[in-house]
Amino acid sequence: MTTTLEKAPAPTPEPRGRLAPVAPYASALQIAGGVLTLIGALLPWATFVLNEGPYPEKATLEFFTAPLAVTGFRLHLVLFGIAAIVLSLVTVPARGRMLQGLGWGVVAVTLANTLYLVAEGGGLGTITAADGAVAFGPIVALVGGALIVLGGSARRHEDKPVWAWRSNRYVEWAILLVTYVLLLLLVAAVLTSGGQGTAANVYSGAVFLSFLGAVGGLLAALQASGLLTWIAAVSERHRLFSVVVLLFVALALPLTQAGTEYWMTVAANIGVYAATAIGLNIVVGLAGLLDLGYVAFLGIGAFVAANLSGAAAAQFDIEVPFPLVMVISAVVAGIFGAVVGSPTLRVRGDYLAIVTLAFGEIFVRSSQNNIGGFTGGSNAIPGIPPVSAFGNDFNDELIIGSVELPRGALYYVLIVLIVAAVMLVFGNLKNSRLGRAWIAIREDEDAARAMGIRTGPVKILAFMIGATIAGFAGAFFAHKTGTVSYESFKFLESITLLAAVILGGMGTIPGAVLGASILFVLPEKLREFADYRLLLFGIALILIMRFRPQGLVPDSHRRAELAPDSGVPPTPGTAAKAAAS
Amino acid sequence: MLPTLLSQIVNGLVLGSLIGLIALGYTMVYGIIQLINFAHGEIFMIGAYGGLAMFTYLLPTFVQQQWYLALPLLLLAGAGVSVGVALIMERFAYRPLRNAPRLAPLITALGVSVALQEGVRVFYPGATAALPFPKVFVQGTWAIPVPGGTVPLRWTGLLIIVVSLVLAFALNSFVNNSRMGRAMRATSQDRDVARLMGIDPDRVIVLTFVLGATLAGVAGILYGADLGFINIDIGFQNGIFAFTAAVLGGIGSIKGAVAGGLSIGLIKALGGQYLPGGTAYDYVWIFVVLIAVLVFRPQGFFGETERVRA
Amino acid sequence: MNAILEATGVTMQFGGLTALNDVSFGLSEGEIIGLIGPNGAGKTTLFNCLTGLYAPTAGQVGLRGTTLPVDPARVTQQGVARTFQNIRLFPSMTAEENVLVGRHVRMKQNPLSSLLHGPGFRRSEADAAEHTAKLLAFVGLTKFSDELARNLPYGDQRRLEIARALATEPSVLLLDEPTAGMNAQETEATRQLIFAIRDLGISVVVIEHDTKFIFTLCDRVLVLVQGELLVEGTPDEVRGDPRVVEAYLGAPPDEVDAQIHAAEETR
Repeated sequence: MTTTLEKAPAPTPEPRGRLAPVAPYASALQIAGGVLTLIGALLPWATFVLNEGPYPEKATLEFFTAPLAVTGFRLHLVLFGIAAIVLSLVTVPARGRMLQGLGWGVVAVTLANTLYLVAEGGGLGTITAADGAVAFGPIVALVGGALIVLGGSARRHEDKPVWAWRSNRYVEWAILLVTYVLLLLLVAAVLTSGGQGTAANVYSGAVFLSFLGAVGGLLAALQASGLLTWIAAVSERHRLFSVVVLLFVALALPLTQAGTEYWMTVAANIGVYAATAIGLNIVVGLAGLLDLGYVAFLGIGAFVAANLSGAAAAQFDIEVPFPLVMVISAVVAGIFGAVVGSPTLRVRGDYLAIVTLAFGEIFVRSSQNNIGGFTGGSNAIPGIPPVSAFGNDFNDELIIGSVELPRGALYYVLIVLIVAAVMLVFGNLKNSRLGRAWIAIREDEDAARAMGIRTGPVKILAFMIGATIAGFAGAFFAHKTGTVSYESFKFLESITLLAAVILGGMGTIPGAVLGASILFVLPEKLREFADYRLLLFGIALILIMRFRPQGLVPDSHRRAELAPDSGVPPTPGTAAKAAAS
Repeated sequence: MLPTLLSQIVNGLVLGSLIGLIALGYTMVYGIIQLINFAHGEIFMIGAYGGLAMFTYLLPTFVQQQWYLALPLLLLAGAGVSVGVALIMERFAYRPLRNAPRLAPLITALGVSVALQEGVRVFYPGATAALPFPKVFVQGTWAIPVPGGTVPLRWTGLLIIVVSLVLAFALNSFVNNSRMGRAMRATSQDRDVARLMGIDPDRVIVLTFVLGATLAGVAGILYGADLGFINIDIGFQNGIFAFTAAVLGGIGSIKGAVAGGLSIGLIKALGGQYLPGGTAYDYVWIFVVLIAVLVFRPQGFFGETERVRA
Repeated sequence: MNAILEATGVTMQFGGLTALNDVSFGLSEGEIIGLIGPNGAGKTTLFNCLTGLYAPTAGQVGLRGTTLPVDPARVTQQGVARTFQNIRLFPSMTAEENVLVGRHVRMKQNPLSSLLHGPGFRRSEADAAEHTAKLLAFVGLTKFSDELARNLPYGDQRRLEIARALATEPSVLLLDEPTAGMNAQETEATRQLIFAIRDLGISVVVIEHDTKFIFTLCDRVLVLVQGELLVEGTPDEVRGDPRVVEAYLGAPPDEVDAQIHAAEETR
């Protein structure tokens, strides 16, 4: 059992860049920043009375009265402050970047809360001095965070450490298990932080954003330390184990604090869109075929299922068992996928996007007009019965032994299994002859043809398989939401799906799920911004393509293609090669 | 029979002229930087809203009531707002992605389109529903007598046709006969060589956006004045029509944009009248045309076939 | 003569421009043919016609007697592979992945197998990986297996393209300017590589501007000028042919010396 912590060979390089003049003071800055953050966390933050809840009340200077009675975001700030001070004094590899991460976390937490306070309290007086009360917490903490970032940035030109620690199989399994359980708890905590936004709980959005900021800062710091990359490497070594454990962990969500009917429904919706996004990921991410009308396949699957469900408004007077319905929906959608794909074979790039957009619009218009009586037009098809198995309606709560699962938990379980299956399909296809053919077509279609790849059938397969997956998800969607209307499948939904794929990272398995999750959880948690949702969405698209086009979890191919300068940490092998050449 | 047919032809020509104005913007921008500016439809929409804003909040009442004063001001305001937005868009959203792989500017354009549409909806008072637009022109209809009845042509419709033709003609002259126009054509053929010849491609590209936006802004005002109301959707719908028109006519060709626009207008009007499904499906026929053109004759009426290099 | 690849009367016209005019030649099994000529003579166009990228305006191309279809994918499947004048690797894929794509056409793996990853899949993937490793070793690129193609040095990129083409198990390999931009050492290595390819039983056609390279490599040389096959023969025959000298090569060194000498004498 080896226990060496290897650092990529290089002496601490000279600080360079614009922050070079600051470098000698880096430690001082960092310590100062940490101390200020600590102080800021303990100071009062608001000069007016807030609602009861996880928010600091109006108070005079309470620094000495309640130094240990901090909770919520102030506790996070205290921890970050202490961590910053410790890292400034102890030499740890890559601490510059870690401090940067922590610093940004502090800034994010502070900003989230400050902006809410200012908006709710009506002006900057809320965070400085008004009505005889004094509260400088936000400002002090903000300055503290900025100093930490500054100090960390001046030091950030160090190599990223590569952990080479290995152990025997069971120890690594245990580590993975612990990691994934922690991940589950973290996800549950993020989802439930701040509670649900209601009239009484005005600050739920703030609490959520602040928590998100803290989590983000923590993850950034861990990523900088190399821990996350190491865990990823370990899970690569134990692929099968990781996948199985992750599946069980995901299924355990209903048992955590996020196991409420509300979150089960949200999770089910995320699942539907995640599965659809993975299907789109095949078309766009792997094969590079920009499909702007993709949501139509989800709609086709949903309408087929609706018409076979025995609902009153259905075209057919028949109730087909659910598993069979899923298959039929998938097949019908797949056929349409081939239909859409065929004329597009000679069309490239931008024009392909427009053609698929046109197909999508044809679908929307036709279903709006209740073509063939299949779609119910403006009346939609309501009244679709819930799935049931073994006598249990999936809509009801379930009691197994002494455990009570919330309503909708069964739907959640089903969608997790569906998403897992779709992920498996994607993963298998990507690392196969067909997947390589798709990627080759995306990189250089003519060269792919010259290598003997029959681009026509291969592209149609991409459309077909993508559409089949969407159709599959559509059947679930129909039964879960109970009503299928053309309104759910308009152009904007196609863009949202595309955004989910891009945001998450094209061509990767977790990417689409991550993207779909973000795009669904944020509107739920930030209800007060509902009116601005689409506006922010549009702006987000612009910003992502400008600053991080490869997405959050980039595929190695895509990163190389879209962001060739974003540094992949050198593996020991290439570093040696680079040194030798 | 005949009056109905001719009425629909007239409707088609009016709509088609408007579409043509918007299509010119698409075709020129695509010709010069090979970008489908998805947000161009929104430029059209925002010109209309910009003009409305100026009219409602800035014009004194007596000016509002004299169409020959209000209309030119409206046109200026519409064009101005459109150009302003287009300049910001080009500078901050598209220019940084000049050399990025094609997917990036396309997605960005989608984002700009969504952001603009939502921005108007959220920030313009009352924009969540349709807003009335001042009918700043001679009202009424010219009843053209034909065998079998009359064919109505709204005076505003005639205005649209005339203005569109004049502007298209002016643009064509400019591009073919002026120094800047030559620079535009050179840049669209080979940007790097044009730069070597002393042309600043950035300025040329900005000019292209400005011209396209001006036409779209004018179209926005004319649209509002004709229809009497506007809503935030008009950008997306007319944008798709205009893009179809640009492709149908041959992307990159000015004649093509006009011809394509008129064709699309006619297809929509006549298709809605005579093809199965009626007006509910007129959009569908346009999309069918779009797909057919892109698949079977991507160079459109007047475009060049891609040169196959020896 | 057993001609493995035969072009008969190939003519290619683009609008009013005649890029190729009635070009006919035959490639024998185990032969290395060089194709030279000034820029714009139509050499790459000829390759494009041979591989089905262009449909010739007249004439046809046959492999072992059967006419080749006008579809690059099927042409490759039948055994004619090529490289490109301006390297067309898959830039974001590693060297190994590039060559694996070359294996596509010889792998037995249908979409269902790709989906299910059953035993048949594993076998075909293992096979492909083995072939790929051998090919990378053959061209000397094993150390770059996991390197992105776009990051490889230029000379190695050309060799990778050759390896990728070889992965399709061709009977005929068409190389378009394989030594462009190479120094003398790399050029010599390429020459040895092409001989090794011939030893594998593959017949080769090479387009090149480096005439010394061509004359020391090829069994026969074809000279293409303005779309027409001017001369065809052994390197010696072609080198001395006055039409070729005039159109393309310039006078041979000794003759130039003689001319200079004569000029100096008369001064």
